[in-house]
Amino acid sequence: MKLTLTLNGTPRSADVPDRTLLADLLRDTFGMTGTHVGCDTSQCGCCTVNVDDQAVKSCTMLAMQADGCKVTTIEGLGANGLHPVQQAFSQCHGLQCGFCTPGMVMASVDLLRRNPKPTPAQIAEGLSGNLCRCTGYVNIIHAVQLASQVMHGNAP
Amino acid sequence: MNAGTPHALLRKEDQRLITGTGQFSADAQAVGMLFGHVIRSPHAHARITRLDMSAVHAATGVRQVLTAQDVQAAGFTDLPNVVQVKDQQGQPQTVCNMPVLAHDKVLFVGQPVAWVVADTALQAQDAAELAQIDYDSLDVVVTFEDATAPDAVQLHAQAPSNTSVKFEAGNRAAVDVAFTKARFVSDIAIESQRLVGSPMEPRTVWAWHDETKGVTHVHTPTQGVGGMAGFLATITRWPHESMEVHTHDVGGSFGLRGTAYSEHLLVMLSTRQLKKPVRWVGSRSEVFVSDWHGRALRLHGHIALDELGHILAIRFENQVDVGAYNVYFSTHIGARNLSITMGGAYKVPALHMSSHIYFTNTVPVSAYRGAGRPDIAYAIDRLIDHAAHQHGLDGLAVRRKNFIAPQAFPYTTANQTVYDSGQFEAVMDHAIGISEAKGFGQRRADALQRGCLLGRGLAYYLEASGPGGAAKDQVRGSFDPQGILSLHALTGASGQGHETSFAQIVENEIGLPASAVRYLAGEPQHGLVGNTTGGSRTLYGAGSAIKNLCQQLMTQAKPAIAELWACVEADITHVKGEWQEVGGAQRRLRFADWVTSLGAQAAQVHAMGEATSGMTFPNGCHIAEVEIHIATGVAEVAHYWAVDDVGLVISPEQVLGQVQGGVVQGMGQAFGEHAIYDRETGQLLTGSYMDYPMPRAGGLVRHFHHETHAVHTELNLLGSKGVGESGCSGSLPALANAVTDALRQVGAPPIDMPFTPAKLWAAIMAAPRKP
Amino acid sequence: MYAFKYQRAESVTSAAEALSADDAAKVLSGGMTLLPSMKHRLIGPSKLIDLTRLTDLIGVREQADHWWVGAATRHQDVASHLGLQKTVPGLAQLAGLIGDPQVRARGTLGGSLANNDPSADYPAAALALQADILTERRNIQADDFFLGMFATALEPDEIITGVRFRTPLRSAYAKFKHPASGYAMAGVFVAQYPPAVADHGGWRVAVTGVANGVFRWQEAEQALVKGGATPALQRDDVIDDVHAPAAYRTHLAMLMLVQACQAFFDHPKPRCRAAP
Repeated sequence: MKLTLTLNGTPRSADVPDRTLLADLLRDTFGMTGTHVGCDTSQCGCCTVNVDDQAVKSCTMLAMQADGCKVTTIEGLGANGLHPVQQAFSQCHGLQCGFCTPGMVMASVDLLRRNPKPTPAQIAEGLSGNLCRCTGYVNIIHAVQLASQVMHGNAP
Repeated sequence: MNAGTPHALLRKEDQRLITGTGQFSADAQAVGMLFGHVIRSPHAHARITRLDMSAVHAATGVRQVLTAQDVQAAGFTDLPNVVQVKDQQGQPQTVCNMPVLAHDKVLFVGQPVAWVVADTALQAQDAAELAQIDYDSLDVVVTFEDATAPDAVQLHAQAPSNTSVKFEAGNRAAVDVAFTKARFVSDIAIESQRLVGSPMEPRTVWAWHDETKGVTHVHTPTQGVGGMAGFLATITRWPHESMEVHTHDVGGSFGLRGTAYSEHLLVMLSTRQLKKPVRWVGSRSEVFVSDWHGRALRLHGHIALDELGHILAIRFENQVDVGAYNVYFSTHIGARNLSITMGGAYKVPALHMSSHIYFTNTVPVSAYRGAGRPDIAYAIDRLIDHAAHQHGLDGLAVRRKNFIAPQAFPYTTANQTVYDSGQFEAVMDHAIGISEAKGFGQRRADALQRGCLLGRGLAYYLEASGPGGAAKDQVRGSFDPQGILSLHALTGASGQGHETSFAQIVENEIGLPASAVRYLAGEPQHGLVGNTTGGSRTLYGAGSAIKNLCQQLMTQAKPAIAELWACVEADITHVKGEWQEVGGAQRRLRFADWVTSLGAQAAQVHAMGEATSGMTFPNGCHIAEVEIHIATGVAEVAHYWAVDDVGLVISPEQVLGQVQGGVVQGMGQAFGEHAIYDRETGQLLTGSYMDYPMPRAGGLVRHFHHETHAVHTELNLLGSKGVGESGCSGSLPALANAVTDALRQVGAPPIDMPFTPAKLWAAIMAAPRKP
Repeated sequence: MYAFKYQRAESVTSAAEALSADDAAKVLSGGMTLLPSMKHRLIGPSKLIDLTRLTDLIGVREQADHWWVGAATRHQDVASHLGLQKTVPGLAQLAGLIGDPQVRARGTLGGSLANNDPSADYPAAALALQADILTERRNIQADDFFLGMFATALEPDEIITGVRFRTPLRSAYAKFKHPASGYAMAGVFVAQYPPAVADHGGWRVAVTGVANGVFRWQEAEQALVKGGATPALQRDDVIDDVHAPAAYRTHLAMLMLVQACQAFFDHPKPRCRAAP
């Protein structure tokens, strides 16, 4: 079935089997392999992308459901250089193997959009849909706090 | 963290990983690629009575179907068991290897039975459903009691009572004598429950065969291309030169990506026969029942002390569940790793251990972060803590009294392990010093006001890092015309940040900026000798070789510098990265500047660094305060303090990252993770993230404080000790001691991990005293 | 997944016709349960009819004595609705506790109710808030809707269009999350109505996650009416599994009841709650 969407700012079209997942469309059809598949019960969040300004799990969406939508993947973040969240993740050592990182970053960007100055507890809640096995999350929470400061200043 | 340089990234790896431009093995596409699918056993123990794949062959898009017969015809062996031991009578271990595809029996749910290759992954999956496979169910054994009962159903004809071996280490007679002389005797059995390691990248492999060169290229996450290539060569019996392993970015490993699985072999066989690239990507559900499982140990420790609290002997009786087959490192865990540091950081005159290694109808077990060392560290510390409480002794005083003193090194333990260095009491005091000990009483009272039981637990762990099986570690360094130094090695990363740490070593040693150094371990390295990553030895193993490389680069260029300065070599010394003229004009020249001055001639500069580095003994003191909410049984780690002796620190951020990651994995085991099998059916009841509680960002440690306390080691050139697994070794006993302490307030006895809310609540409800 | 045909519904009527023409067809809403089930090949519909672009099924609207929420309304839109937070805080709170942020961006009310997972949250709200489940052909009262684990009163080709939640005087939801799945290990929804409007003297208590389906806890309702203590929950279908034995779940149900009622003591009048 045919679909059209805006991917990282560019209109794209595809003709794929109806059972194609959005994650597979992004990775296999469009070659955007930054979005990763880490599980099959919609729990790990490695596949998180942004559809119409919301963070969603692309493994639990059909490609067809994204028809006509605006999709942003990790590759489309930080159009000029790095997004503050990406920068902060590195500076705070909030990644080790990097497999969960694209999804974690996309979820963090969405979290800060909804709540620009989150407390650590709110950050943890906002990332409740993302698993990391390497870092132990401590530095991930620091990274989101740093990004919040950079993006929105220090005042609470 | 330098906010003044907005584009400074902490690690070289970060640029590609934070932008989604890393290369994980499932990311590659190749023209004409085919896709494999594994048909797995739905039964825990059954005879295969019919295996009719005809409908699969005929299905749309199917290119090939393989069963055990095809694997046998190809001449492949079974998956290897790396370490074999002898039993108490000197008889060799009964080793039962896992076949690539099951023959006439299946022994665990998830065991590979057949293999389908098709034009698309979905077609392969669709076709697989057409297989007609009949199973005759057999009785299932999942527990130690069921498996080793005299009349238990046998998984393997050659292994009665499903016993692989009863292994012993140490001196039983000396231990028995010591116990007769003891004033205080205590014992405790602990379970280190079966875990699913779950690195976030599911297991993946793809391969293609280069007809013209006769080489099969295998792309897969590993812990080192050499190690994996070795396993593949052993199993396929193909010449080493006919295969090459390529590893790109690895999404976590923790021991699980270091070995060859059935799918590696099947992909290789298919690509040679079909002459097209073939790929297999595991689903998480598959990976739950096919990645080797971790831990699955029960350790029963006994301790004997004299009237002054000196330890006279420690004895362990261990039950080691290796799953359905002996694969890779399970015997290594159950024999060497449990015994090598079974006295911990203490002077123990007599040590003895017996390990009953047995089979069950479950996923085979191999190395998972620590591979037996967190488990024995856990058991020792719980034993000491338990004995102290049982006999009214002060646990800290017992530890102090029995620590091996700094002046006693090198120290040979009662079972012949030689520890090189340590300042155990100083490290413990350091940890106690930062852990706000004085305020604990008040914190406990405050917690009670809020309806919580607060417990405090201290643990001292010591572990042995991997000795390394290779004769030495080599790292080849060569410059390109742009003056960039490439380091070629065999030991790969899965998150440890080798590219950054090793560049840092070069910068520390000879002043070449880290930005001018590349570390490459993902490509086949012909002619290099070295160890695969594992056992927390890479930083000091390859790092020492890199330090040696740097020294060579300085000394081998001396003739050129002498010519430049028109002096004799004897007049040139070097300090770090700078040659210095002795006397005369006292000229100075920095290595980095010299390389730059060479221009394109820099490509002539190369050297082979090497070092022999055995095991080291990372150790430390971890202190946890755990708060249990009485009404719900939910436990939260209120405070966690850790002081680790990891020797010389190269990258403080990464050391901290390793400890945090290890501690949180320990928390996962302590508070919820458990691969639970149904005793009757052998089904894995916790077969997905829906039922297997992985640690998440919330509900974690509230305050985490870590410091290092470096004690120099001469065991390697770099002077570092491992750190990758220490977080697990320190956290299991610290957390368990804290929970035990919390429960003691209501008189509840110790319980085993995982300390789930339901278990803690039940323990508190059943306790004799009210909070 | 097995192969299927995807189509976008033009209207509820045409969707219902498509369902009755093909008994292997299913409607697709948020997909948070349907798609994972299909990925595991537990089900293989012939056709998926996507309802989520039908604007008639989307929205949160206050009426005189109830709130209408469209069946295709996402959990996060219910959770963040300011008016709902003020007048039916328990409902907004519940929606904000479902799953995680990414799931809440896609999951819908209609999907949750139609699936009737015994550990899902929305059934507790529907039962406690005297909901009318509106389909394209009739209204079904909540008390008649939930028929046990994964079973509802819906006909195979019937489609939920929206839900009317009767506006209570006060409402609260307390949930103990399963440490792995995030579903309710015990979820208790308490709603208070004027005594004349609801049976049991105005109080309705609904429990999810504890038994084989959502149920009204009548002893709790009676105790709230009389002002006494609620006895321990007694049921013979309390879930007993590796995560929690029945005794623990029963205990959690009581804890969540107390927690939900505590919200009433803390906030005697309905008031705004901060977004989760």
